[in-house]
Amino acid sequence: MKNFIGIDIGSLATKIVLINNGNLLDHKTERSTYDFKRVGHNLFDEILAEHQLERNDVFVMSTGYGRNTIDIADDRVTEITAHARGAQYFFPDASSVIDIGGQDSKAIVMSKKTGSVIDFQMNDKCAAGTGRFLEVMAHALEVPIDQFGILALQSSKPASISSTCTVFAESEVISLFARGASKQDIASGIHKSIARRVAGMAKRIGVSPKLVFCGGVAKNEAVKKYLEAELGFEIIRPEYPQLTGAIGAAIIAQEKSKE
Amino acid sequence: MQALEIFEEFSLYLKEMKSQGKKVIAFMSHDNIPEELIDAAGFIPLRLIFAGNDELMDASHDYLPPSTCSFAQTCIGIFALKPSQFDFFDLIDYFIVSNHCVSDICASEIICKYFNIPRIDFYISYIRNSNSENYFRLEIAQFKKKLEEIRESEILDELIFESIKKYNELRKVIKEINDLQIQGSKKLKLMQKAFLFGPKIINELREDIASYKNSIAHNSKSIDLLLTGCSIFMNDILIDLIEEGGGNILFFDTWIGYNYYSQLLEDSAIEKSPNPIDLLASRYVNNIYSDHSVPNFLENRITHVEEIYSKYNSETGKRLGIINHIIKFCDHMSLMSSFFKNKLQEKGIKVLNIERDYSRANRGQLSTRIEAYLEMVDSE
Repeated sequence: MKNFIGIDIGSLATKIVLINNGNLLDHKTERSTYDFKRVGHNLFDEILAEHQLERNDVFVMSTGYGRNTIDIADDRVTEITAHARGAQYFFPDASSVIDIGGQDSKAIVMSKKTGSVIDFQMNDKCAAGTGRFLEVMAHALEVPIDQFGILALQSSKPASISSTCTVFAESEVISLFARGASKQDIASGIHKSIARRVAGMAKRIGVSPKLVFCGGVAKNEAVKKYLEAELGFEIIRPEYPQLTGAIGAAIIAQEKSKE
Repeated sequence: MQALEIFEEFSLYLKEMKSQGKKVIAFMSHDNIPEELIDAAGFIPLRLIFAGNDELMDASHDYLPPSTCSFAQTCIGIFALKPSQFDFFDLIDYFIVSNHCVSDICASEIICKYFNIPRIDFYISYIRNSNSENYFRLEIAQFKKKLEEIRESEILDELIFESIKKYNELRKVIKEINDLQIQGSKKLKLMQKAFLFGPKIINELREDIASYKNSIAHNSKSIDLLLTGCSIFMNDILIDLIEEGGGNILFFDTWIGYNYYSQLLEDSAIEKSPNPIDLLASRYVNNIYSDHSVPNFLENRITHVEEIYSKYNSETGKRLGIINHIIKFCDHMSLMSSFFKNKLQEKGIKVLNIERDYSRANRGQLSTRIEAYLEMVDSE
């Protein structure tokens, strides 16, 4: 077996990658929707068809929120383990990971030698400190999500957002508006709030430089900048931060096939 | 036996006891309540060992805010939710107000005040020394006096000795259950049943133990675990999530488990003792693994977990996973959880701190944490 597929079914996006001999051949991303099984199947069928592969030509490893329910998977692995291996794929000397996804955020400390997980921490069940928090806040400010980080970086006087709860934070944003704060300053305060929360979680498990920032939120420049300020060191970001989990899953599948 | 079947059986049992004129005395699970005195008085001790759900916790919010201990919310929710999910709670005659923790005091007081259940006070000192022992004896004397007022006659020493022997046997049986090499969920069900029914089912439990000893051992592919911190109470999904993820709790280092049977008295000490109250006091003083035994509670716990880990490791050559179970807003457990985890991790023992409430909403995230931890232990 040479072809390995990693499929990461997240709460907001489903990512699929195809690797061959450790090389990333192809990848696709789609919104998960309520019918994430169908989305996963479609992406899987597309990638097989485009590479003229049959089902038996690939080994499929699933990860993410929907890892246990997608029936095309030959095996499954948690997103914690998958992200650690995916981070190591991009940066062989990576020591830690921060992943901020749609529904959860996680910090991982890993072995530099093997990429295996040494310790990890996940956010609680609430949306604070996740991509969903940013989405809700961007909606409240009527800013497209892909412009939200850019707007935050234009701030000269970031507002202070003290609420960690998404619902309360939304009320706080409205009250800041009423007091005349600018969109830029509020956006900056929101990004700082998420960075503070995630950095606090990461510090508790002792993350260190060579930290890989991945997940969909890693594309947001403001969160990256504020995270670096909170942690006190520069963080690194892979070319495809959102694909880290799927790539990790595919790499683990490849390793398992050698066992 | 499923939890619901146990509840039905327990409900019938309590109704039968009530029809015989016996009083039911309830309390929030607590490892220093002298249940032997309740039994010697001819009453039925009823421990609240029920895990909650969203409905029960929501029902409690008329009486206390959501930012309080999930177990306290559950206990109040049991009384607040109508129609009740547990009909046998209508049979309670008295409720013990005690101070296992702040939530214990508040929830017990709320239950007595708002649901019109007469209270019996029983307070303990957290520290273990001669002063606290003297205080414990005074509380025991007052508690005994109150029970005697209710039963309208003295509780004779012979009766207390008899009850101490019965509960000591129960502790031995629970130790035997914890030592069984079977699936954790089966072990837990037996222990929960033992805690609910008490010494009356000792023979039944011994038969269960014998049949399990003759059966096939649990799946050796699963990763063995030690559970510490908060107990898993009845109807909780945590043990299912652990087993679905590929783990197996081999050792229950919780109040339902080791903490309870560590209070075992020597048979010879029972025989030699001239005064049953001395035995109860010695049990209290020696209860150094109690969640609220200070000083050195945490150090005792860490040393104890380390010993079990090392023994398991030397016998099997494998690593034992450690899950520290923290019920949300349990300040005592959560404040110390980082220290506990860090101290063990310094010794190379990996620990998963799980902080949670009884809501079913975070099932997915909880499973991910457990499975990721099992993958981590497995990869070593």
